[in-house]
Amino acid sequence: MTDSDYPEEILQSLEDYNIDMRDFLPGHGGGAKLLLDFNKIKGVEQIEGIILKGREIANGIVADVVIKEGSKIEEPVHLCFGVNKEKGIQEIFPRIIAEDNTDVKIQAHCSFPKANGLIHKMFGHFYIGKNCNFNYSETHYHGENSGALVAPVAYMYVGENSVFENNFNLTKGTPGKVKIMLDIYAMKNSVIRSNIRAFGKNKKDSVRIRDAIYLEGENARSVLKMRAAARDGGEVLMYGITEGNAPHCNGHVECSEIVLGKGSICRARPFIRATDPTSSVSHEASLGRFPQKWLDELMAKGLTEKEATEVLIEAMLREE
Amino acid sequence: MSINLDFYSIFLKYLLNIVFIYLNNNHFEGFKLLLELKDITIPTEDGKCVIVNNISFGVKEGSIHAVIGPNGSGKSTLAYTIMGLQTFNPTQGKIYFDGIDITNMSLTQRAKLGMTLAWQEPARIDGLTVPDYIALGMKDKTNMKEKVREALEIVNLEPERYINRTIDESLSGGERKRVELAAAIAMRPRLIILDEPDSGLDMIVIEDFLNIFNKIKNLEMTILLITHREDIGMVADYGTLIWRGNHILTDEFPKVMLRYCAKAGLKEFCKRTLFTNDGKCFDEDYIDRIFREEGTL
Ligand SMILES: Nc1ncnc2c1ncn2[C@@H]1O[C@H](COP(=O)(O)OP(=O)(O)OP(=O)(O)O)[C@@H](O)[C@H]1O
Ligand SMILES: [Mg+2]
Repeated sequence: MTDSDYPEEILQSLEDYNIDMRDFLPGHGGGAKLLLDFNKIKGVEQIEGIILKGREIANGIVADVVIKEGSKIEEPVHLCFGVNKEKGIQEIFPRIIAEDNTDVKIQAHCSFPKANGLIHKMFGHFYIGKNCNFNYSETHYHGENSGALVAPVAYMYVGENSVFENNFNLTKGTPGKVKIMLDIYAMKNSVIRSNIRAFGKNKKDSVRIRDAIYLEGENARSVLKMRAAARDGGEVLMYGITEGNAPHCNGHVECSEIVLGKGSICRARPFIRATDPTSSVSHEASLGRFPQKWLDELMAKGLTEKEATEVLIEAMLREE
Repeated sequence: MSINLDFYSIFLKYLLNIVFIYLNNNHFEGFKLLLELKDITIPTEDGKCVIVNNISFGVKEGSIHAVIGPNGSGKSTLAYTIMGLQTFNPTQGKIYFDGIDITNMSLTQRAKLGMTLAWQEPARIDGLTVPDYIALGMKDKTNMKEKVREALEIVNLEPERYINRTIDESLSGGERKRVELAAAIAMRPRLIILDEPDSGLDMIVIEDFLNIFNKIKNLEMTILLITHREDIGMVADYGTLIWRGNHILTDEFPKVMLRYCAKAGLKEFCKRTLFTNDGKCFDEDYIDRIFREEGTL
């Protein structure tokens, strides 16, 4: 496949995130990859230790990724879900399995630079075996028009002694209507770190994210961090849920949101529940504006209040 | 002919004036003041009490000028007011920076004129990297990386170890304070106000800080140094003593320190530690006289 087969607009669209999608075209850069242009598969590249298959269906694809037992995958696996249209429906059904003792990083890039009424749905299943190191990052860009209607749902099972890091970023461009639901089940001795970041920028933006972590195995641990900013009438609602249902498990939920400008709404709801007396779950939530002292410190360096706020939002939403 | 006479008489007066100033050993006349406070009175936020009462003094360009005084005497309040923080508004008086009246200027405007403040307890901000933070105030951002390294080196932080860090809780107290200083230095302001840069640091580190001050001074920045510690203060050329919101004295630093000791009745301390080094000693009689004036002998 030549580069020009894949829309240039999509390839360039994640520059603000410092991601150059050209690197993920088959034949460029290393790593396994799967490229989707709207409902058509435009390229698949497998490497040793990974099975990567896509099957086109009516409005999208079923994507299967299997990391074979014991494989330590050096280069990230790239899943590029692009749409270079204003409207239409794209549906993705990823089924991701990491067999025992594997080590992998999967990066999903969902880019819809022209979106204006576009619908993107995802229904994902993740199964992570024992002793795995699994890192999943999803980066979204919904253009600058009115965004897209995006509704991903994912179930994630994290096996014994595994470490799962989940990152979701929707901080550039205008999101549109976004409704995300994640359920993560953590087994014995597993460690979950889930980071969600979103930025609503105008009246058309409404982002609702519900991330739930169920600590089902003894000594499972989790940290859920949700960060959001809403400005100029944007709306961001975040529900961070953690349940401690097993002995000695330990979870923490942190929601911080910043509201700027008239009509903007941020709502942060940490929801914690412990059904095991030896478990501990805590939460922290902050809403509103940045502390005046932070602003003062930046302003003492010559920034205006507006510039200082931009710097702080950028920092807050930065991937760690 | 009469015009010429006038001219000579004015010139003569001028010369006499200079001799007068010299004889009076008054260091604040005839030099350029970078910062000048005139009759500044600062109320509490609710406006009910006065924290700083009718204070006037000047800071000479290129000097290290210490502001000393006991806890709660109004030093930080003064620093915030000079910098122009929103909730610190003088009810009376004027502040001049390089001859410009900045009393009604915003914090940002003052910073842009070339002054900055390093806080006593700088904030911890997740996600803001050390280099980004240091670069914030740079006027010219070309060769930014190089300039960030330079600034880190001035405050004795190894650049390699800090360029990938963020200014969050993971930095130690001393590291965070140094990064704060580095950020202030990177701005290349004409005036840096340091609010207790020494607080929470141990003696060995203090030595290091004195070094840093000298480096800053060599970069032709003026330092307004708020401190509790006489050993830190000793780097200062001049000092101002504030006592319960009132201005007591502005003079060469040792004299100011002596007055501070006399007011606090710390005679032994004063003799033991203060004026025995650097040839800046006072004779016993002089010390006794000052203590007597303050009624603490
Ligand atoms: N609302 C208020 N009502 C009464 N007193 C106040 C109010 N706000 C501040 N003060 C007082 O103003 C004084 C000045 O405080 P400031 O922080 O400037 O002192 P400082 O000299 O910097 O002290 P330190 O050496 O402890 O840092 C303090 O005594 C403080 O209690
Ligand atoms: Mg103070």
